[in-house]
Amino acid sequence: MNAPARPSGAGETGGTVLRILRVAAPLALIAALAVVPLVDFGANSAKVLFLTFLWTTTGVAWNILGGFTGQPSFGFAVFYGLGAYTTALGINGGLSPYLTFPLAAVVAALASLAIGLPTFRLRGPYFAIATIGVSEAVRVIMTNLQFTGGASGYRIVESIPFRQADHYYSGLALVVVAVAVSMLVRRSRFGLALRAIRDDQEAASDSGVNPFTAKLAAHAVAAALTGAAGGVYARYAAFISPDGVFAFQRSVAILLMPIIGGVGTIWGPVVGGGIYGVVEEELTARFPEFHLLLYGALVILIILFEPGGVMGLLARARRLFSRRKDASWQPS
Amino acid sequence: MTFTDYLNLLISALLLAGTYAAMAVGMTVIYGVMKIVNLAHAGFLMLGAYFVYELHERAGIHPLVGVLLAFPAFYFLGMLVHWVLGRGIPVSDEPTLASLLLMFGLWLVIQNIGYLVWGTSDRSILTPMTFATLRFGEITIPKIGLVVFCGALVSLVVLEFVLHKTWFGRSVRALIQNRYACRIVGVHVEHIARMTFGLGIAFAGAAGGLLALLFPFSPDFGRPFLLRSFVIIVLGGLESFSGVFVGALILALVETFSILVIPSSYQPAVSFSLLVVALIFIPGGVAGLVSRVRMRARRAA
Repeated sequence: MNAPARPSGAGETGGTVLRILRVAAPLALIAALAVVPLVDFGANSAKVLFLTFLWTTTGVAWNILGGFTGQPSFGFAVFYGLGAYTTALGINGGLSPYLTFPLAAVVAALASLAIGLPTFRLRGPYFAIATIGVSEAVRVIMTNLQFTGGASGYRIVESIPFRQADHYYSGLALVVVAVAVSMLVRRSRFGLALRAIRDDQEAASDSGVNPFTAKLAAHAVAAALTGAAGGVYARYAAFISPDGVFAFQRSVAILLMPIIGGVGTIWGPVVGGGIYGVVEEELTARFPEFHLLLYGALVILIILFEPGGVMGLLARARRLFSRRKDASWQPS
Repeated sequence: MTFTDYLNLLISALLLAGTYAAMAVGMTVIYGVMKIVNLAHAGFLMLGAYFVYELHERAGIHPLVGVLLAFPAFYFLGMLVHWVLGRGIPVSDEPTLASLLLMFGLWLVIQNIGYLVWGTSDRSILTPMTFATLRFGEITIPKIGLVVFCGALVSLVVLEFVLHKTWFGRSVRALIQNRYACRIVGVHVEHIARMTFGLGIAFAGAAGGLLALLFPFSPDFGRPFLLRSFVIIVLGGLESFSGVFVGALILALVETFSILVIPSSYQPAVSFSLLVVALIFIPGGVAGLVSRVRMRARRAA
């Protein structure tokens, strides 16, 4: 599952335009999304966008571990769920909601260390299998835990009246933070170490990277973002249950987004999250079983034909396009 | 707890172990030859259950006959799947993430086709045997458990025979040891790989049918059993057939006797925790542990 090589600039001027676009486009997108609640084009659209932000955040987070580092996890629902429950307990305990989100991130990161310390002794696929075991075990425990209501769930009572915009901006801020973190990680020395581990763990280890601590750190960063997303979700939903936030389906959804969009790229999980979030909200209501069937088929097709996902397809299209242009320049 | 209570628990553990072994052996075969962690195993277990169920409900075919029919049906289904996904699941030396995710996608597809066809409600196969028991004084043996155990045992014996006495079986065992040497001596690796995949799926389907006789099932039937299969083959050392029996026995004993110490609502967590513990502390499984002890003994001698 190698990410496609970074496409080189088409030419001097083309490169500059592309570079400006690369900075301007995300900013324009953020600005456009920030204006949405002011325009007020319907509560439902705002809700779909809000949930899409949360999905995208978890996808971006997963990608830091599963994409950059090449350690796919089937257990991210653990962090999402723990984040959700932390926020729920915090709000009911009288804390400000905005204080509980970082708290949720911290709790999820601590959990990631507890999970990672034993499981990162395993390589790639074995780690992936172990995470299924961990997440199922956590779900069973949460279903039986009495002080959080067990299987019947937990209700959050907030003293502040419900305002859609508050939730919307929390979600937007979170997804911006997630993408920023993902960019920072990828460009940093740490990100280089992660990619080295993905490509060849022995070689990375020989060049002075400690794979174990690097993986733990990547896991913690990813878990913190996922936990915060769980927290924001819990505040919005006002009711959470182990079968919702800790469900295996949630882990599945979290890893589907980067795979659809393009594993190991910055914008892949964002594209995947956008597709997933919108399709999910539209499809789930109408065909509850059909959408996972669709995603399963999509995963098979992506792995077989375009491991780079949507970003891979785009890169391929661009190569095709620039090759044509190059060919037309050839004097005949 | 009296002595007979313990004995009853032990018997039910042993019966469960037989079924578990049949369930996990399909995964071992595929892993051994192709180094693919077959996450779609869960899907085929579920399909097997519904296969036997449908034959029983619609055609009135006895479930055990249904299990027998599941072998050829799922063998060809497995070959078909391997043919369709051919380029995604090559024979490799170590498990790849691509094949893992591919099988995961396949599992999602199978599971949700199951939901489309059969809905979300639980079904079960009821026969006159289901609630019958055999009594020997204080000891009671559930009849259905015994029958399923015998079915599992017979299929495993046949598998052992095939693996040791036929050309195909020898090729499979050779492939597990060394793929390159196989090519040199004239084993058609891709062909054997396809047949192996069929064999693994055949066992998954049949084991699903056997499990359906014991437990109620829904399209999500396979998930807990997927994890259990994985615990078993990890305990057994991933590629060893005799290891599967040991792994199945350990898991069945732990699951059965953990009821005495752990509340039953927490019980599902036991096998999942055992998976993590086994993966981390005995990566070579029991087979690896035994050979390590043997090596140490030899060095000491």
